[in-house]
Amino acid sequence: MKKGKKALILGLVLLMVLSLVVVGCGKKEEPQSGQTPAPAPEKPAPFKVGLVFDVGGRGDLSFNDAAYAGLERAQQEFGDRIQVKYLEPSGGGENREQLLRLLAEDKYDLIFGVGFMFTDHIAKVSKEFPNTKFGLIDGFIDGLTEASNVSALLFKEHEGSFLVGAAAGLKTASDTVGFVGGMKIPLIEKFEAGYIAGAKYVNPKVKVVSDYIGTTGEAFKDPVKGKELTLKQIKSGADIIYHASGASGIGVIEAVTAQKKLAIGVDSDQSLTAKEEQRPYILTSMLKRVDEAVYETIRVAINNEFKGGYTVFGVAENGVGYATNQYNEAMLKDISDKLEELKAKIISGEIQVPADKQELAEFEKSLPKN
Amino acid sequence: MKKRFKYLLLEIASPFIAILFAVLIGALVMLVIDKNPVEVYRTMFLFSFKRLDSVAIILFGMTPLIFSGLAVAIGFKAGLFNIGIEGQYLIGTFLAALAGFALKGLPTFIHLPLVILMGMLGGMLWAWLPIYLKVKRGVHEVISTIMLNYVSFSLIHYLIADVFMDKQQGLAPGVGNPIIRLPKIAATAVMPKMHSFLSNFGINLPQHVYLNWFLVLALLMAVGYYFLVWRTPFGYELRAVGHNPAGAETAGIKPGAVFFKAFLLSGAIAGLTGLSDLLSYFGYMDLDFPRGYGFTGIAVALIGKNGPLGIVLAAFLFAFLNRGAEGVQAFVGVPMETIVILQGVMILSIVVFSSVMGRYIRQQEKKEAALGSAAGKPGVTVGAQGGVK
Repeated sequence: MKKGKKALILGLVLLMVLSLVVVGCGKKEEPQSGQTPAPAPEKPAPFKVGLVFDVGGRGDLSFNDAAYAGLERAQQEFGDRIQVKYLEPSGGGENREQLLRLLAEDKYDLIFGVGFMFTDHIAKVSKEFPNTKFGLIDGFIDGLTEASNVSALLFKEHEGSFLVGAAAGLKTASDTVGFVGGMKIPLIEKFEAGYIAGAKYVNPKVKVVSDYIGTTGEAFKDPVKGKELTLKQIKSGADIIYHASGASGIGVIEAVTAQKKLAIGVDSDQSLTAKEEQRPYILTSMLKRVDEAVYETIRVAINNEFKGGYTVFGVAENGVGYATNQYNEAMLKDISDKLEELKAKIISGEIQVPADKQELAEFEKSLPKN
Repeated sequence: MKKRFKYLLLEIASPFIAILFAVLIGALVMLVIDKNPVEVYRTMFLFSFKRLDSVAIILFGMTPLIFSGLAVAIGFKAGLFNIGIEGQYLIGTFLAALAGFALKGLPTFIHLPLVILMGMLGGMLWAWLPIYLKVKRGVHEVISTIMLNYVSFSLIHYLIADVFMDKQQGLAPGVGNPIIRLPKIAATAVMPKMHSFLSNFGINLPQHVYLNWFLVLALLMAVGYYFLVWRTPFGYELRAVGHNPAGAETAGIKPGAVFFKAFLLSGAIAGLTGLSDLLSYFGYMDLDFPRGYGFTGIAVALIGKNGPLGIVLAAFLFAFLNRGAEGVQAFVGVPMETIVILQGVMILSIVVFSSVMGRYIRQQEKKEAALGSAAGKPGVTVGAQGGVK
């Protein structure tokens, strides 16, 4: 016991010395660090925008990066008028709420939570900070009104997926297309349902093979597994593969490039972020304009027009769609008229895109059989 | 005796030298990304210890790590490596959550202990198969526990998303995405926070921290662990088997039975790991329930050298690093990855330093003993190292 006690005392002494050293060093530096934040007094206080990414953070070339693109655009546009900061939760994601709160405490005017995992945390923190505004991407909080300080930004991913599904259905040579999802959750099944519906709508013969990468959040950052599943699908005949798997999709694109098949990207226009040699193998991307939602929310908030409640981004609102760029122009040329026609039909309500398995089954029944 | 003190000092100093070393490496990383390391570390300290909520968050954050660290340590003491804490605590958390929402109308003093017992039962259940396979069939527990981790991830996903998912979350049709979670636990199963107790001492914690009585339970568990392992006949058997199973057997101890008990105990403690989060913070279990406590627990046990005090201090260190990471991310703009690097280097250097130091001390002691016996003195120090530790 004596040993343990001594160890404790010595440990504490050492800890104290260590902390003194660190704090001491810090003190010496103080005048220097004090200079940096010196604000120019004549400028009005900038509008402070904070953003907390979901696990995975920047660099997933997909969902989180799309949110970042919106932030970046606002930064370019408003320059000095806004000040931005973005944070990323720890691996297990258990500190989302603390990060939101830190930003709120730091007097950020508008704070985004990127992903539906933030739903409960934003619900909690927004009550503690009634004067701070929050943007919740993909999440739904019950009972929001225009006067609320939370704006839920929701997307009809199934509509965009329908369009890229149609593109796949039209372009496939083997009448087999693939879908690689990240984590098996209703959100991703929505992508899948829309995609299958789109493919079958334009091509009744088409077969869709679906796989999910995993059962944890890790599924959105596992390119190796994404690649494996894609190769497996290609072996079973698929020649166009759509992924909704965040950073795991990097593996999907690698696999189609190696096998000279086609991939469909998700969330951002992945033709633009892919490597040069991969671009010819990206047919298009399902755009989920998280960037647009983020930018728009910042823009109205700066102009003091922030409204709480729900904003839904569908095909009609240009919130989802398919990507065209200089790399895939030629590939899409022969089908772009058809896609535009389908788009118009979705906007007019002639096509009701299914959002889950049940609706998909009904949708398939309603399709003419031939 | 003076020599002895020198070695003790060295042994205690080694983790701190290692931490200092890791801090220096971390500083280099920060210099590379163009941040002032002094400012970063300073922010980390001030943010973590100057704010009451930070201190409470650190204490809250160390709670699960104490449980998982103890669970790993008790395995190590018996010479078993339980990598399955991760799966065991998820299953435990699930059973606890199940008992938490499915049983209604029980008074708190029955419901809460019942839920906690369910958690321990779940952990034990998931530890039973690997140890059964080891004792009866000779399957190495490292393999079986790792594999069962994966099984538990998928099983939990299935149970939460497909069987017991709470469908009453009030979603508008077609928009928004439900959280994939179980129904919320009943109010009678909630672990009370320590706020009102601490306010008696003039410590008024802000409402947004979730420091609860599981911390006290964890500390009691650490004390209990000490008495069990070092002060009971079973503890002696445990250490003997851990030290040398064959030797213990010739001394009349049945290693199989000791393995079984130790591993089930390890599983039961592991089952408590997730409960602090479940029963006081989230109130439900979702697919995104905090992961990784089990693996961090291994590092905690390693750094803590399987001792109760060491485990508590190591858990504190990890919780501090996590909270500090939030601070430097928010106020100095250091990306999360830097802190992850710092944590990694710290674990590595602590383990390496302590083993290097341990070897050095043993060598010195051997030399001394040799000198001592050559000079006709009794080798005092050998006994301390030679016996069952």
